[in-house]
Amino acid sequence: MHLPNPPVIAVIEDDAAMREALSELLEVTSLSCRAFDRAEAFLAEFAPGKFDCLITDLHLPGMSGLELQKKLNALGGGLPVIIVTSALDAMSETRSMEEGAFAYLTKPFNDKVLIGHVRAALGQGEDPSS
Amino acid sequence: MSGRHSDRAKIRPRDGMDGEARRVAAGGDAMGRREMNDKTNTRADYPSHPTLGAEKSGDVVREAGGVSSDDKYRKLIFFMPTALWQVDSRAAGAAFAQLRAEGVKDIGAYLDAHQELVELACDTVLVTEVNREAVSLFRGGSLSDLIKPVRYLFAATPEMAKRVMISHFEGRRSYVEEAKILTFDGELRDVIFSVTYPTPPEQQEITFITITDVTDRLRTEAQLRQLQADYAHAARISTLGELATSIAHEVKQPLAAIVTNGETTLRWLEREDFNIAKVKHLAGRIVESAYHASDIVQRIRLMAVRAEPERAELDLKAVAAEAVSFVRHDFESKQIALSLDIARALPAIMGDRIQLQQVIVNLLMNSVQAIDHADAAERTIHIAIHPEADGFASFSICDSGPGIAEEDLERLFESFFTTKEGGMGIGLAICRSIVAAHGGTISASNHPAGGAEFRFVLPIAGA
Repeated sequence: MHLPNPPVIAVIEDDAAMREALSELLEVTSLSCRAFDRAEAFLAEFAPGKFDCLITDLHLPGMSGLELQKKLNALGGGLPVIIVTSALDAMSETRSMEEGAFAYLTKPFNDKVLIGHVRAALGQGEDPSS
Repeated sequence: MSGRHSDRAKIRPRDGMDGEARRVAAGGDAMGRREMNDKTNTRADYPSHPTLGAEKSGDVVREAGGVSSDDKYRKLIFFMPTALWQVDSRAAGAAFAQLRAEGVKDIGAYLDAHQELVELACDTVLVTEVNREAVSLFRGGSLSDLIKPVRYLFAATPEMAKRVMISHFEGRRSYVEEAKILTFDGELRDVIFSVTYPTPPEQQEITFITITDVTDRLRTEAQLRQLQADYAHAARISTLGELATSIAHEVKQPLAAIVTNGETTLRWLEREDFNIAKVKHLAGRIVESAYHASDIVQRIRLMAVRAEPERAELDLKAVAAEAVSFVRHDFESKQIALSLDIARALPAIMGDRIQLQQVIVNLLMNSVQAIDHADAAERTIHIAIHPEADGFASFSICDSGPGIAEEDLERLFESFFTTKEGGMGIGLAICRSIVAAHGGTISASNHPAGGAEFRFVLPIAGA
């Protein structure tokens, strides 16, 4: 199926190995992605409609994932945000979901689960091939 | 050692003073002699001069005067709760005089070459008197068990005999050594062995030896050290607990990368157009992250491991850098900037890497918490490492936190003193113990520019 504007996934992850791993996973799933090492770098490029989904860590140098969620909510645009974190505290999850996170995954996560959420966020949830 | 006591007459109380005892006491060369006769000995197993050579005994009798005054001293000395020996070392003194006449200067070297002289002294230098405590210490049956050549005093520390002789030869006033003795019933005891030598014109036949049993004290000290080690271990584990969140985060990053790269690899392998270069690249990444995770686990293990303090030459810069890496995540998540001022040329220090890292991690965590708790606008920590005068190297850490209340400064390093809600007050106490064990000092102050400053100095290796 040909999409005139292939979806672009933004990834924010400060750990270089994890950032690259996420990019590779999206690449093998034929999803385009732009990776950033911190929230500020992502915001510098952000414009409503530019990205179709955001995968972000919560613990980031500088602006945290939660603060970024609030900022994006203030900016509007309804970008689905998938949180991927190694934090295990229930408080972080509750807060992120309150800020409207699309999904909240803890590391290490199952690739099918993540890709399933990404597809769902992109409105491709019915695609069973992944 | 001697087993002679076993078949000797046991101490027998004896009331009054018979004629024999009076005569001996009047003989006057012996502290405690009268009491000894009064209380413990019969004439039969305690001759008046059991050990002195015949030609010397006359001098002793002549030199001792003031009988009634001496009697009082003897009585006091006999009951003194310190084990005391009176030794006639004139045999050694005579030999020394001859050696001096022969031009011997380095007595240590001479005795090394003539061990037989030490052996001779052990057999010819004589114990002339002992008190009650001395008998008790050596588990003797009677005073007379201890009246004999001094060899038995050196049974457990034979090489001490030479050192005692060297001090005597060199004309020193006294000699003190921590040593072991072997009691007549075969037990080793830890003691402080002190010798006081006569100096002319004092009576040359009177050398005093006191022996203080420190076995129990040393045992208690060892137990105390063990407790301190347990305490440090507990604190180390406790600090580890505080760092657990940070460490869990750190170790999960490479594990998550491994999982995702592995799954991505499988996805490539399932694709008809899979490319071998990509799979190789991902496999390489997996190995890299696995090593990274392993390194983190190893560092945690080293922190938790119960190890005797090691003494190795250390680069304080490297020790600090590794400690900083432990709390790197806290710096980042709490948005605290770290600045460093590290001397280019820094001599190695001697110490235990893990323990010193504990100190630095503790200080770092304190600063991070101080800044975070105060919600300060300026969020900086400055670390400086420099060589100091007098063979020390210093580590200092300044933070932009609220500083330390003046009234708390003095108590900061005390155990169980804390200003933190939920704090145990052991972190800085442990820091001080560790730094002190390394021969250094640690101090806290408020920086003139604001914030707290902690500083420790450690001796450099070979200084």
